[in-house]
Amino acid sequence: MIISTNWLADYVQVPGTVDELDARLLMSGLNHESTTRIGDDTAVEIEVTSNRPDCLGHIGVAREAAVLYGRPLHVPDPRPLEGAGDASKSIAVEIRSPEICPCYTARVLRGVRVGPSPQWLVDRLATVGMASVNNVVDVTNYVMLECGQPLHAFDLSRIRGGRIIVRRAVEGEPFTAINHKVYTLTERMCVIADAERPVALAGVMGGADTEIGPGTTDVLIESAQFAPLPVRAAARGLVLASPSSYRFERGPDPAMVDWASRRAAALVLELAGGVLERGGVVAGELASAPASITLPAGRVGEVLGVDVAALRQEAVLTGLGFVGEPAAGSQLRRWRAPTWRRDCWRDIDLVEEIARIEGYERVSEDAVIAARPVELSSREVTVRRAGEVLVGAGLCEAMTRSVVTEDFAATASPWGDTPPIVIAPPLVRGADRLRRSLLPSLLEARGGNVAVGVDDADLFEIARAYLARPTAVENAASPVEEPLLVSFVVGGDFARAKGLADGVCAGLGIDRDGGTRLVYRPLLLDPFARGRAAEILLERRGEPAVRIGVVGEVSKAATGRFGLGAAVAAAELRLDRLEFTASLERRLVKPIDFPAMQRDVNLVVAESVPWGDVVDAIRSAAGEVLEDCRLVQVWQDAERLGAGRKSLVVTLALRSGAGTLSGEEAGRVVDAVVAECGRRVNAVLRG
Amino acid sequence: MTAVPLDSFRADLERLRADAEAALIAVVDAAALEAARVEFLGARSGRLKAIQKSLGGLEAADKPAGGKHFNDAKNAITACLEAAQARLAGAAGEAEAAPIDVTLPGATVPLGHFHPLTRTIRRVQEIMGRLGFESVDGPEVEDQWHNFEALAISAEHPARDPLDNFYLAVARGADPLLLRSQTSTVQIRVMENREPPLRIVSLGRVYRPDTADATHYPMFHQVEGLLVEPGTTMAHLKSVLRLFASSFLGGDVRVRCRPSFFPVTEPSGEVDGEWGGRWVEMGGAGMVDPAVLEAVGYDPDAVSGFAFGLGVERIAARRHGVDDIRDFYRNDVRFLRQF
Repeated sequence: MIISTNWLADYVQVPGTVDELDARLLMSGLNHESTTRIGDDTAVEIEVTSNRPDCLGHIGVAREAAVLYGRPLHVPDPRPLEGAGDASKSIAVEIRSPEICPCYTARVLRGVRVGPSPQWLVDRLATVGMASVNNVVDVTNYVMLECGQPLHAFDLSRIRGGRIIVRRAVEGEPFTAINHKVYTLTERMCVIADAERPVALAGVMGGADTEIGPGTTDVLIESAQFAPLPVRAAARGLVLASPSSYRFERGPDPAMVDWASRRAAALVLELAGGVLERGGVVAGELASAPASITLPAGRVGEVLGVDVAALRQEAVLTGLGFVGEPAAGSQLRRWRAPTWRRDCWRDIDLVEEIARIEGYERVSEDAVIAARPVELSSREVTVRRAGEVLVGAGLCEAMTRSVVTEDFAATASPWGDTPPIVIAPPLVRGADRLRRSLLPSLLEARGGNVAVGVDDADLFEIARAYLARPTAVENAASPVEEPLLVSFVVGGDFARAKGLADGVCAGLGIDRDGGTRLVYRPLLLDPFARGRAAEILLERRGEPAVRIGVVGEVSKAATGRFGLGAAVAAAELRLDRLEFTASLERRLVKPIDFPAMQRDVNLVVAESVPWGDVVDAIRSAAGEVLEDCRLVQVWQDAERLGAGRKSLVVTLALRSGAGTLSGEEAGRVVDAVVAECGRRVNAVLRG
Repeated sequence: MTAVPLDSFRADLERLRADAEAALIAVVDAAALEAARVEFLGARSGRLKAIQKSLGGLEAADKPAGGKHFNDAKNAITACLEAAQARLAGAAGEAEAAPIDVTLPGATVPLGHFHPLTRTIRRVQEIMGRLGFESVDGPEVEDQWHNFEALAISAEHPARDPLDNFYLAVARGADPLLLRSQTSTVQIRVMENREPPLRIVSLGRVYRPDTADATHYPMFHQVEGLLVEPGTTMAHLKSVLRLFASSFLGGDVRVRCRPSFFPVTEPSGEVDGEWGGRWVEMGGAGMVDPAVLEAVGYDPDAVSGFAFGLGVERIAARRHGVDDIRDFYRNDVRFLRQF
């Protein structure tokens, strides 16, 4: 909303400079945007919050200034002189949809001379950024900018059948607006029609055929109330927002419907001549039931923490247009809200009015805040720990969009195969599917770095994915499941990604507590390469194994698709399934001071035997004295080992809490390990 | 045989000690070290041995003091000898390695980086944590009740326009679902499940259909604080905001609160901080609207509260001199590595 300071002075005289006025308005709720000198006038642009349609006109802003400065407010009382003719004989008004138009009024002027506006009117409109059209149209705009009530002027001679009908648009109905574009309407919109066709899109824009032109002599002035929703449907749906639709969406003062009509008629008579027919044609009723509000005496102090004197409270409310009513009991006061303040109907609304006019500066900022204990939630602990491990390993945290394109969304999700959920409108062009995995977004981010010549962008992200729950469980809390994931994409091979995944799990405490264990199983899943990926299962004592992650090398196809260049590996873990680790008890396992024994064992097994099976056998055979078991070397040599065989060189670190192990004791452990490996995986000790 | 005076005994010891220290500091090779060792500490004819013999000649009463002096001197000379041995051993090791170019690069340590938005969120959490606010989390896909109705946003409110929200193609029965447009939804969820007193900070991603430009992105982050306790006033709100702003911006920062409008709070205000001589919008705040307290089953006559919200991108951008918030989502590591 742009205010002309010359115009404002018609209603209130404020002392001091424009800058001071700007500052007072700013600190009472009308945010200041800019101040521009225009000729001998000043344009002040203010931001009006959606609850204050009264300040979408100069009078409303003048009322604020009058209260802030303690000056009187002068609002004109237009009494246009009525002449010959009876408006109700010239036009009949019928409201067919009172839910979208509670009240419609029409005034009729005949013999009007349409022409240029006088300079003062042209100047005022120019200050607030509106071009002059002609004296009649300018008057309707002027009155709207004065009191906030939008008006429309029709060329009465173009209204067919002498009738105005306010109704919902028919689905698909065409309408040619003043801008000479044809719009297709929907039944969510409201039109003003004559006996034959729509002549205006209610509250938004007039029609081309009935607009005021140089040849117009008879004018119908519309002043009406339209509900916000149909106006918004038209303004948004047809991209036709106007100063009028802006105001109707916020609800102008119902009491201004008649005032604005009289004001416009008086100004047209003054500027364009003609004769005003007797009476206004009114259909419907003004919806206006001002609230009666009880304000207990201590209420202001209770909310603000600072008291405002009763007399001052009364002065503020009275200045804003609230009317005090006698009430029972001296502790209560009753106030009737003005028609332009439909945002005020409870005591808290009155407290806010008093607070903002008094100034929030009056409220102390030295209140005592008592201390309270705070703990991080287990989710927060989990998220932070996972991030710390990856940052410690040299990765950068990325943030990618939750919504992806259809082809990204088509990438398989490790977490379920229900189709991705579609949203409208798209988040950005083409991106209208909620992602089911973070991996495609991270691969894209790495590809973006490669494209600018950075080929070592090792990235991770912690975010949610969105999965439609299968219909079978639709009665669950929400039809959408939001697993919390940590994903990463790094240069290198399977071992690097697996090492990072293990690192995150170890950082969270998996494998430290004896009751949890990770198991890796081969996995075939896009975007990983065939035979180069695994699912990660978590086994907890007494519970079925659950998938907590996937890890693997990215396939050649995906490497090409995302423009990754060199070899890339990636993983995704379910942090929501690892959250329980935050509550795992950390109990000290005292380090043993007796020396450790190292023993190398060279086991030969069939190539197909996975290391995981070997290490299981070693662990179960060696028991508690096995401190560490490290795979040192894997090699194959058909001549020396036989075809289809491989050699695994393993270093066992043995240590006992009971005392220093002797060579014989260590030897017995190694023998047991070899025997168990022979039994379980047909391993043979290579001498 | 006349008794040896203690003073003379002591003087002999001091001389020996000085001679030994001088000699041992000067040795440059193993042979000289061995010669010095034999001269001073030799078991048969070392000079210390000779003095030890005269210890017996002291008066009986002087013997304890004499013995102590002797031991001190012996320890000091032994320490000098060990230092000389260590010095010669070290020199021998170093002599074998060629000198290095100390300006050559060190072995690179890969340094990871948290995202600047995460760092900003953590900082807010940390400060609010000290003020007793606990961080909470909730779903991003929301229903009409939590995203609008419980927050006193009526069906007619422009914020509910389908074009101003990201609605999902799936629904819960007749209730349309959408990506949350604010994190206040989480506050409603917490209030529905807990009784006051309550101090929480909800944070996370929110979504609004804005065309992406230097200051807008359709996905962004919010941090919202909520306190509900009996007797809470606007003075508590302003005090917490001031404490927060001086912790976050540092020092004696000026904060102002000017009236504004939000459906969830009343009275409501916009909070500005003075940053480099200019007022910068930090976020919105206000007293929790009684309708919101009622919606979650609290008694607005028994408890009151305040709420505030911060746009994370905006304060992070200002803090780090980022002039285009889209850069936060480009994931260019040349950007990420600077934080």
